[in-house]
Amino acid sequence: MNRKDMLGLRGVSREEIQEILDTARRFKEISQRRIKKVPTLRGRTVVTLFFENSTRTRVSFDLAAKRLSADGVGISASTSSAKKGETLMDTARNLNAMQPDAVIMRHSLAGAPHMLAQAFPFSVINAGDGINEHPSQALLDMLTIRENLGTLEGKTVAIVGDVYHSRVARSNIYGLTTMGARVVLAGPGTMCRPELASMGVEVMHSVDDVLQEADVLMMLRIQRERLGKGMLSSSREYSHFYGLDSARLERARDNVLVMHPGPINRGVELSPDVADGANSVILQQVTNGVAVRMALLFLLLGGEGGEA
Amino acid sequence: MKTIYVGGKVLCPGSGQDELLDLLVEDEEIVAVGGFDPDGVDAERVECGGLVIAPGFVDLEAQLCDPGFTWREDLVSGSQAAARGGFTTVLASPRTDPVLDDPALVREVIDRGREMACVDVLVAAALTTGLGGEDIAEVGLLVEAGASALSNCDVHIRDTTVLRNALLYARPFGKTVMLRVGDPWLDKSGVVNEGEVSTGMGLRGISDANEEIGLSRLVALARVTGASIHATGISTAKGVQVLRRAREEGLGISGSTGASYLLLNQEDVLESGYNTAYKLSPPLRTEVDRQALVEAVRDDVLTAVTSQHVPWTRVEKELEFEQAEAGAAGLETALSATMAALDDLSAAVRALSTGPAELLGLNNALQAGAVANFVLLDPSASVSVNSAEFASKSKSSPLDGRVLPVEVKATVNRGKAVHTR
Repeated sequence: MNRKDMLGLRGVSREEIQEILDTARRFKEISQRRIKKVPTLRGRTVVTLFFENSTRTRVSFDLAAKRLSADGVGISASTSSAKKGETLMDTARNLNAMQPDAVIMRHSLAGAPHMLAQAFPFSVINAGDGINEHPSQALLDMLTIRENLGTLEGKTVAIVGDVYHSRVARSNIYGLTTMGARVVLAGPGTMCRPELASMGVEVMHSVDDVLQEADVLMMLRIQRERLGKGMLSSSREYSHFYGLDSARLERARDNVLVMHPGPINRGVELSPDVADGANSVILQQVTNGVAVRMALLFLLLGGEGGEA
Repeated sequence: MKTIYVGGKVLCPGSGQDELLDLLVEDEEIVAVGGFDPDGVDAERVECGGLVIAPGFVDLEAQLCDPGFTWREDLVSGSQAAARGGFTTVLASPRTDPVLDDPALVREVIDRGREMACVDVLVAAALTTGLGGEDIAEVGLLVEAGASALSNCDVHIRDTTVLRNALLYARPFGKTVMLRVGDPWLDKSGVVNEGEVSTGMGLRGISDANEEIGLSRLVALARVTGASIHATGISTAKGVQVLRRAREEGLGISGSTGASYLLLNQEDVLESGYNTAYKLSPPLRTEVDRQALVEAVRDDVLTAVTSQHVPWTRVEKELEFEQAEAGAAGLETALSATMAALDDLSAAVRALSTGPAELLGLNNALQAGAVANFVLLDPSASVSVNSAEFASKSKSSPLDGRVLPVEVKATVNRGKAVHTR
């Protein structure tokens, strides 16, 4: 892969995605060893710059960097620092003066990592920018689907919930359609808006309509702050029409994969028994997250001589 | 002092001239257009072979930011930018600090403009106090103080009763009311055109329905109030359609668009990779919209093209796309952008000069007795836009780096060459 940055899956080729997933599959084995460390990125500096709260993504990137022997440092910044006088670009100029090799960045506004990627020599990995993209999440989702179903080609993936505000959904839509999967969307009209069809997906709204066809049910997290803002009437109504419980799961294909990017609102988008049930691959997603992030760091920073 | 401009082609939509004519200027006035022997006059000669002499451009929508925001622009830098772009008259927006809603302020800006600015500075006074959209400003006194138009800038008047009353109240004072079109409630957090680009960039969109609703509201109010309304910032095919129908009906509503909208579309925003120079308000729209705007300027449904000059400093643009300010420096590129899109110099001059002049009640035709405000254009030259060299304090332009047609060789304001190259 010949890229400096991983900003999103829009415009990333099938071959590149294939390479990332293949590399991740090989890295996955490292995390299963007793000594979970290879010297591949020894001496390289990886900074996590998070302007939004995160637990699992940040830990996942931290572990990925550590298992490749990179030196890591984490910065929790406030998006409102702009209002205190320091802009994002000011922060980045200071950071760049300390010569990091990679910056992993999460920000509440779309395009923020792109600004840094254009202006500075270090590699930028987008760990979520506003409602735009979250490519490493989509890559770990694709790795999980591929592990369970053998391929992505020709599979039907239903993404259910607040697609409009979901960077996870956007990155998955780009990646999955590039890999030849069929993507259908279901969810409330305010969250599965007509213009999303321009991304090459089918907007169906009703979960019951997609149950029979879906190989994968990717349930999105409902953000409680959307309630009562003219986006959603109540969580009761949401779970009635769009939530996945065992009754709905009965009507789905037998071996359908149930996925969720976490954290789960149990009882809203997923009932507890389904979240923890036999079809759920939610924890496998988390495991694969470390492997995919190791692969991204390795491919972007061009690790030398190590095991891969 | 007399000057003759010899050998140029006079292109003046106002007087219908489009022929080789010499121009004789004495002090601030045009004394003769053709019909005299240039060798028989004792005057300084300016050779204009190969050049077009057109009436000076008139801009309806420039923020000169003076008083109050002079780190962004002031009457000196703004008027120099105007002169470079061929504008001899600029209607200053009331978006200043304090807002131009007080007669004394209007007088002050006009007086200071005469003193400091190198082109004519006219004033659009605020329609509502503080541009707040709630209380009608002292419209009559503002007009008496010299305001050439009334405007609420880009601030929507949410309450339709207030808007209707403001239009009724302003009507007897005889000045056009300039309003931005849009719905005050819809797409409030939008920053780019809704559709492929908003989904593709993960940014909130602004739909063309927003403009259609806003403009339809103004059309209905033009009908019930009989007011003279000028809708600025028309950016969509739907908007053009609504305006075309209203004008066919003979209503007192006209419209304009910004020059950049004639040349750029949403694909440029997408391809720029979150370059905030492309963040404009309204957003750049689709290719279908762009073509509809070009056609509307050609057939005079849009009677003016404006600079939409909104100068921001580097730190105000060098932010995350959603947080960066919307707008760009436009005075220095308006002609070239318009020409690149229209490929018709006569239509470009009409849209940049004759159309906006008429809206302000000015007769800027090139004829004996008129004020000597005109430009010398080289239609065969091209310019390479380099925003770092703008006279404006703002260096942000979505046209940066482009090679565009037509060069302004000279701008003459009140008989004096205020820009030459």
